Amino acid sequence: MVIGLGNEDRGDDRCGLEALRKLKKRIGKGVQFHECLAGATSLIDLWDGADVVIVVDAVQSGKAPGTIVRIEVGSEPLSSPIGTTSTHGISLTDAVSIGQSLKRFPRKLVIYGIEATDFTLGAGLTPSVARAVDDVVNKIANEVARIAEDPQASAARGE
Amino acid sequence: MTDRTIAIDYITRVEGEGALHVTIKDKTVKDVELRIFEAPRFFEAFLRGRMYTEAPDITARICGICPVAYQMSSCNAMENALGIKVDGQLRALRRLLYCGEWIESHPLHIYLLQAPDFFALPDAIQLAKVNPEAVTKALQLKKIGNDIMTLLGGREIHPINVRVGGFYRTPTKEELMTLRPRLDTALALAEETVRLTATLKYPKVEHDYEFVALRHPDEYAMLDGEIVSNKGVKIPVTKYEDTFEEYHAPYANALQSVKKAGRTSYFVGPLARYAINRDKLTPRAAKIAKEVGLEPVVLNPYRGMIVRAVETVMAVEDAIRIIEQYKQPEKSFVEPPSKFAGGVGCGISEAPRGILYHRYRIGADGLIQEAKITPPTAQNQKRMEEDLRDLISKSLDMTDAQLTTACENSIRNYDPCISCATHFLKLNITRE
Repeated sequence: MVIGLGNEDRGDDRCGLEALRKLKKRIGKGVQFHECLAGATSLIDLWDGADVVIVVDAVQSGKAPGTIVRIEVGSEPLSSPIGTTSTHGISLTDAVSIGQSLKRFPRKLVIYGIEATDFTLGAGLTPSVARAVDDVVNKIANEVARIAEDPQASAARGE
Repeated sequence: MTDRTIAIDYITRVEGEGALHVTIKDKTVKDVELRIFEAPRFFEAFLRGRMYTEAPDITARICGICPVAYQMSSCNAMENALGIKVDGQLRALRRLLYCGEWIESHPLHIYLLQAPDFFALPDAIQLAKVNPEAVTKALQLKKIGNDIMTLLGGREIHPINVRVGGFYRTPTKEELMTLRPRLDTALALAEETVRLTATLKYPKVEHDYEFVALRHPDEYAMLDGEIVSNKGVKIPVTKYEDTFEEYHAPYANALQSVKKAGRTSYFVGPLARYAINRDKLTPRAAKIAKEVGLEPVVLNPYRGMIVRAVETVMAVEDAIRIIEQYKQPEKSFVEPPSKFAGGVGCGISEAPRGILYHRYRIGADGLIQEAKITPPTAQNQKRMEEDLRDLISKSLDMTDAQLTTACENSIRNYDPCISCATHFLKLNITRE
């Protein structure tokens, strides 16, 4: 399952959604795709009971715009906040921690964060973030292919 | 002589981000400035030159928490300008959609944003650890609200199925009935929430608020109604700007609302609605309010949590009634008149956080010439500052950390949707 997180109208915040749409065209069948616009609490419903989930979102951690980070989360608590942005009171970091506490969490969660810089209402992606979207699409497509060959993931799918 | 400035750079657990700046001088509170930057102002400019039919979809983008409120207020305003009335099952469907938004928004605020204050926990993450049942209930309730919005609105956020005059497509009875079994669960969860919130220990404080809310003759007002206050206001929506006005506070990008007469603050939202419409609560909501001993007019802002829970019961109960009585209408919308000379239209509705006012001037070509949007958080801002000033003046012996927490708790009473009233907001408290 791949989930794209973001707000379409807030500049770089839409990068997760852009990446998801490109991935959907490229990968097609065999993977579930979800756009998550409604705040991070909806993530818990989406990933509850899933095997491997990849989330792609904008982050702000002070790195150069367009920098891609990959964070893998299992049942262990996060060592530090992911740095994702939210206007809904509950961030992706919160959703991870709450999901873990409630045991409503996938076996493996992989978060791809794209360092974002401009959240102006109505703006599009900045050039460095737009380039990073293409890079992240390649990385996730490769990871999805690897997961498809992973015997543990296949077993979880009942194959 | 010591001056103290408290700066809270980031207000946690509110919708969006905010900044509060407090200056204390010689044991006296000098300045209390809630700093807000505005998104609706951007949208007001952005709407000019767009077709009137686009306003519901464009304004829904202002907020991810209350898009239905923006759609309903803008539809009301456009329909007022066009001279059309949406009634019967189409109006019932609008109310159902709005119930979905309340059922989604209230539990989020109660459990995930405000409850940690009363369990003395820093946030919902800790609450999920010590009381996973409470957070599970919140997510279950919220999900049912989301599902109503998804079914009627086409998707769970920024619904795309609402249009001026009604809907693009109405659901079948069978589609709506798929929600029915889970609404029984939701009703039980909402009632448990009332009981839980009623057992919490709240700070003992009351203020002589002027409560402003809509009032409708037949129902707990949500979609429309007269604007009524507990201090004598009783006006139609068309007189809103004669009675209330906005002014620009120099320290904020947001406009603050006051009553024109006396330039006094007022309070919109659940406490106001309950004070004005208590006799219109649905039967189970009225019963549980009585069971937990909720006073007829709640003047303690912290106890707004209980009122939110009672309103959630009301919204679930009303959703059940609407679904059970539903008959799919033949036409999904009321046709706009074939000829339109242009004009001005006003609309108002009860967002989860309080009344949301829209006014548009439309040309004969159907293009929007002027838009005005007054969100509930802007209307409450002055009152929020007054509550904070009172709190701080009584709490000068607190450490900065304690005072920061106390101020944040007070601000959360208003469930401020700072992402509606603002763009990005940082909370700063400063003692000099």
